[in-house]
Amino acid sequence: MKKRLLALILMMSLVASTFTMTGCGQVEEGDEIVLRVSNWEEYIDLGDWDEDEVIDISDDVNILGVNSLVDDFEEWYYETYGQKVRVEYSTFGTNEELYNQLTIGDVYDLVCPSEYMIMKMLREGMLVPYSDEFKDDSIETNYYAKGLSPYINEVFNTLNINGNILADYASGYMWGTLGLVYNPEEVTAEEADHWDLLTNPKFEKRVTIKDSVRDAYFAAISMYYFDDITDESFINSEDYHDKLSAMLNRTDAITVQGVEDVLTECKDNVYAFETDAGKADMVTGKVVANEQWSGDAVYTMDQADEDGIELCYSAPSEGTNLWFDGWAMLKKGIEQDPRKQQVAEAFVNFVSMPENAVRNMYYIGYTSVISGGDDSMIFDYMDWNYGVEEDEEGVEYSVGYFFDMDDPDADEEYTIVTSEDQLRRQLYAQYPTKDVVDRSVVMACFEDEDNERINRSWTNVRCFNLDKIFK
Amino acid sequence: MKKGFFDRRQLALPYVLFLLVFVILPLFVVVYYGFTDAEGHLSFANFLAFFTNMRTVGTLVYSLVIAILTTIICLLLAYPVAYILAKGEYARKHSFLMVFVLPMWINFTLRITALKEILTLLEGNLAFHPFLNTIICMVYDFLPFMIMPLFNSLAKLDNSMLEAGADLYASPVQNFLHVLLPLSVPGIVSGVTMVFLPAMTNYVVLDMVYNSTYIMGSLIGSYFSSYDWNNGSLISAILLMMIGLVTMVTNRLIGDKEVASR
Repeated sequence: MKKRLLALILMMSLVASTFTMTGCGQVEEGDEIVLRVSNWEEYIDLGDWDEDEVIDISDDVNILGVNSLVDDFEEWYYETYGQKVRVEYSTFGTNEELYNQLTIGDVYDLVCPSEYMIMKMLREGMLVPYSDEFKDDSIETNYYAKGLSPYINEVFNTLNINGNILADYASGYMWGTLGLVYNPEEVTAEEADHWDLLTNPKFEKRVTIKDSVRDAYFAAISMYYFDDITDESFINSEDYHDKLSAMLNRTDAITVQGVEDVLTECKDNVYAFETDAGKADMVTGKVVANEQWSGDAVYTMDQADEDGIELCYSAPSEGTNLWFDGWAMLKKGIEQDPRKQQVAEAFVNFVSMPENAVRNMYYIGYTSVISGGDDSMIFDYMDWNYGVEEDEEGVEYSVGYFFDMDDPDADEEYTIVTSEDQLRRQLYAQYPTKDVVDRSVVMACFEDEDNERINRSWTNVRCFNLDKIFK
Repeated sequence: MKKGFFDRRQLALPYVLFLLVFVILPLFVVVYYGFTDAEGHLSFANFLAFFTNMRTVGTLVYSLVIAILTTIICLLLAYPVAYILAKGEYARKHSFLMVFVLPMWINFTLRITALKEILTLLEGNLAFHPFLNTIICMVYDFLPFMIMPLFNSLAKLDNSMLEAGADLYASPVQNFLHVLLPLSVPGIVSGVTMVFLPAMTNYVVLDMVYNSTYIMGSLIGSYFSSYDWNNGSLISAILLMMIGLVTMVTNRLIGDKEVASR
């Protein structure tokens, strides 16, 4: 009897699962518009903050995440446009995972991959350009056009694929640099100022590097071309930034071979190629330095602070990788219902509202591309977060380039007084100084054949080399 | 016989369908991708490239070494345990067996994380002994899969065979080598198949103990993440062939034993 019951239950569950499987197709009931969004894991404010977490920037500005931003958007959209929308929100773990999902046949309307993946999608004709209306900063609800940092805007306008300017196809979300998190008790600021920390025998098996081809490649190519890019005349040349960008984006066979040698050296020296363990290993002290994106660096430092351990961040002086994640609209999804484009653009505008940008930054630790435009909330948040009390001593920290690039006196306006250690810590990671962004380069979306070459070399680094035995 | 709504054949239908869709079909897909190029033409280029590149062959060798060592150590550890549990003269054998299998109830990443901390205490810096740690964690992870089939086959074994051996003046060593061991081959074979092949691809263990060298499983993952379905599938197909080979050899072994024991 028991067996029969078990068989029945098994059968029922099988039948039930087939029903749910067919059930997740397109459901568009009534006049509701469904927006399918895919974003990184843990990359948006999910609300549910404690009462005492309220961000009291000033007497009349108090920010508290009660509901998730996605729910808030649905409510805001209905109030603003009188139309019901429902967001189907999903997440992905890596850019490649998202791309694979899309090629297998998953359909999304709005996705948030990194810059090189957006460029790849653009090259393959997968994206819909943003409307002219979206770029009009005179419209009240266009929070993105009104609030985007002029610095990020310039970067977006200089990047293009086959003549298509990136700014037309993508809107920014979060941005940052690539650098090293280090423990100042073990590693000096001078040592952490160079990528060769990763091959330094002094820290044998006590540093980690990212288990990602592009991040490892960037660190290694900076070491490979160290002499060239730190040369006085190179740095002082007029088109320094363009030359640096070209050099750190080289993918020719000789460079790839050179990078492979550096990475092989890294492999023997590092504790691990890590995907996720690096943050915890820093806090527990297993490693003294690791390669990290600035946003994760902030998170790591925050975690360590809770345990009473001070960690620092450095964007190495030879060069750093400027990265950003941004929203792109996919043809396959938007084409199904033309009304979706407006909803997708509204979603971008909604998360770009200064208050929501602050909520996201507080919740996930990354830096929003929004500087706020006429609204001073973003700058006030930065001051609230990192500024010292009025009666305390501190040092000045200027980020005029981010808030108002064209005004040469912007630095005077956008300066906060912060404690001295923040020059190497969260503030520096979240809002890098002008000289850091001057030596930062965006890593291009490599051509397929170059990618193939790099991937092959990566496999060479990671695979067991039989030749070693026979030699 | 027809009492219920369905006869036996009809009841088997869902399972046959399941097997077709989720087992047989994917195997064909893997083999198809493994032996075609990006344009879908039949090609052995990937196959040749795999076996002529010292690094990919190195990965195969490295995986084999890990898998063979893991299997041998598991077998050496599991055999006495299974024997004592199956043949020992005490009550509650199954409770004892349960204790050995119990760790399987806990997620293995959690167990490896704990083991990692213990090893850190013993060794200091784990990164200096990646290979040793890999083997330790693999053995820990796969041991129950070796104990179970060995226990089953030893428990079923007729004691009178051993007694007969002893009566005929076989020394304990001879009795073990010529009676017990041959009779437990089916258990050994199924234990080995359950440990050997998963050990070749279980790259999560390597990731967790900071072994940065690829094994077959990590190679598949790295190809797939760079959208190289053909090379990834090829490696899966190579593993498939190895499974086929191992099963063929072991079936031969079991077959021989069954004939011999008759």
